[in-house]
Amino acid sequence: MEHRHYIVCGLGFGDEGKGSVTDLLCSPRYPGRAHAVVRFNGGAQAAHNVVTSSGRHHTFAQFGSGTFTPGVRTHLSRFVLVDPLALAAEAAHLASVGVGGALGLLTVDREAVLATPYHQAANRARELARGGGRHGSCGMGIGETARYALGHPADAPRVADCAAPRTLARKLARLRDRLADELGVLDGPDVADLCDAYRAFAARVPLVGAGYLRRLMRAGPVVFEGAQGVLLDEWRGFHPYTTWSTTTFANAGTLLAEAGQTALRLGVVRCYMTRHGPGPFVTEDPTLEFPEPHNRYGAWQGAFRTGHFDAVALRYAAEVSGGVDAVALTHLDAARPDPGGGSPLRVCRSYRIGEERLARIIPGPEHDLAWQERLTGTLLRARPVYERPGADWPGIAEEALGAPVALRSYGPAAADKRVVASALRAGALVGRAGRSWARLWRGDCRENGES
Amino acid sequence: MGSGRWSTNVYDAAARFRAATGASAFAYSDSGAARTHPALDPYGVAARESRDSDEHPQSLAIAVLFDVTGSMGAVPRTLQAKLPQLLGLLLRKGYVAHPQMMFGAIGDATCDRSPLQVGQFESDNRMDDDLARIVLEGGGGGQKTESYELALYFMARHTATDCFERRGQRGYLFLIGDEMAYPRVSPAEVREVIGDELRQPLPVADLMAEVSAKWDTYYILPEGASHVRDREVLSFWRGLLGQNVIQLADSDAVCETIALTVGLGEDAISLDDGLADLGDVGSTAGPTVSRALAVIGAGQIGAGQIGVGHAALQVAAAPDDLDGPGGNVRLG
Repeated sequence: MEHRHYIVCGLGFGDEGKGSVTDLLCSPRYPGRAHAVVRFNGGAQAAHNVVTSSGRHHTFAQFGSGTFTPGVRTHLSRFVLVDPLALAAEAAHLASVGVGGALGLLTVDREAVLATPYHQAANRARELARGGGRHGSCGMGIGETARYALGHPADAPRVADCAAPRTLARKLARLRDRLADELGVLDGPDVADLCDAYRAFAARVPLVGAGYLRRLMRAGPVVFEGAQGVLLDEWRGFHPYTTWSTTTFANAGTLLAEAGQTALRLGVVRCYMTRHGPGPFVTEDPTLEFPEPHNRYGAWQGAFRTGHFDAVALRYAAEVSGGVDAVALTHLDAARPDPGGGSPLRVCRSYRIGEERLARIIPGPEHDLAWQERLTGTLLRARPVYERPGADWPGIAEEALGAPVALRSYGPAAADKRVVASALRAGALVGRAGRSWARLWRGDCRENGES
Repeated sequence: MGSGRWSTNVYDAAARFRAATGASAFAYSDSGAARTHPALDPYGVAARESRDSDEHPQSLAIAVLFDVTGSMGAVPRTLQAKLPQLLGLLLRKGYVAHPQMMFGAIGDATCDRSPLQVGQFESDNRMDDDLARIVLEGGGGGQKTESYELALYFMARHTATDCFERRGQRGYLFLIGDEMAYPRVSPAEVREVIGDELRQPLPVADLMAEVSAKWDTYYILPEGASHVRDREVLSFWRGLLGQNVIQLADSDAVCETIALTVGLGEDAISLDDGLADLGDVGSTAGPTVSRALAVIGAGQIGAGQIGVGHAALQVAAAPDDLDGPGGNVRLG
């Protein structure tokens, strides 16, 4: 039978609440819940916080954020930069919060590239050399891993190599030597020790081929859980303050097409904006303070920044992603009026740049980083024009994103979520598609090969 | 986003991958806890309550208590992994609009440290947390008897449900295990475990009548545990519950079995419809469940029909019944 699958993508700079939305879609509270989470970008740098109603907490990095529900599987597709060492540590923490056997519910695509301690050391060496001009890396070697795989596709260590000791040792030694030639002596374990750990990984976790995902999707509903946010996308983000990863729906779309399946595209936004580290943030407002128990200053990322709902940037994010079918609006507890009836939150529907007003960021050509860099320059000069939001946050989000708000979240646990009517169920969107401008230009994006 | 939280120490990783088995889902138990978790301790509890609310105006109480002693082998772990799916299954198929579920565990009061563990009734997945707190005894006396009677006593006298008190509808109680109850409730054990003063021992048959007034009670006997074929155990429970004794070939199918039993009891489905539903939700448990529920689905049960007296009379009619005198335990 056909199952209802979902793609969950953040439309901001990350930290939108993808983890808790994924958790809900997998939880027994949700009819038609998903039985598996598929990751399709990024790697161990993801940090999706999920808190159960009894207060158990885990920061999901490589395991799917549905893992608190017993039996929910995780599949790391070939687009994930897989870090087996971090997987082992994450599984150990999961066991300590009552989720045993997480490794037994994990499958990994053999084609996926390995993120190793050598990449990590090189990443850190490079960021240190940049000094004040840091790009907001998370220090997990993700960028370095992607860079090396692009430059040396045949030599990049891959998951399949973990089961082929001689190839693995040769590739790891070459990787370490190349990076050391470029950056000087790097920290990191001996190749032999690293091989040993990776072989243990291959013996414990099923390494699967491309056909696996098709079977997984036939067995039941699946959530494709995106990492980071569209505004950090390697091509569509504000270059160079981006990540080495495609953060739109695109990779998930590729996997779905291969499996002959479709999915509902769920865009996640907070009712305010946040960003880790440097880069354009037009609506930043340091006076906004909300409880943020799981995001603190990261040594490699810089400060955690907060600002107002930026309809211009979010509309751009939806637009470059090919549009969203539905929206999950999170952190609405922060929008509750204070005792005086007021709220510090504002909505920005246009920017002021010198004498000009800008209400829409027009997407540039595909894969044009020079364009993106000019955009960054423009945004750094832009000043927000604020309006008072009123109480209708779903209306504000629907207007900005051109899709219905299907899920509202007032807190971290699944019990704090409200699924709006039947907007997430099959067919419910058909009637709304006509008035959704998101669909009008999706055709254009497809022509550009974006969807 | 955020910095990487998880250590990438190469030696730790190798050791963790090599650990023979993944850590257990029974985290509390496996952390070395040997005593009942305070949240599940029945001592001094006036009543576990299943109440209506604005969100759940027509609550229906469903309690699942399973034997966690050594005779059950790996079954309790399977149940722990599977039972969280039960709520979703009931809701998804619309068998019950507002289930409120409670999980609990049964040990042996004569030799275990956690003879009875009872969670709270919950309408959402909070009862999963209770499951994770259950201590696995792995003990038991090896004499084919566990303290089911203490669990029955608790269910009879320390539960309060709106489905029964407001609407006269009994809740559903599922006991999952492979042994007999002790023939009488011991005042000393009740005092020790629950904190009640009982003047004299209470015969389990009398207690069963009390339980059945409030709870539509089923006993599920998973195969693969020891004594499964033990005629004495089967006939003991058939004597108490008649056809409400379900033999289950594959404990993986426990949620489907419970869900269909409730669906049948609620008159929400026929057995055939229910088995078709299982196919819809992607379950492969159909054949197992079909076998287990053949008797119940034959139309002999209904909400008002399973009195204790009926159960006793129906023993002889159960097709898979046992020969020998064990099948004819009378309930007075």
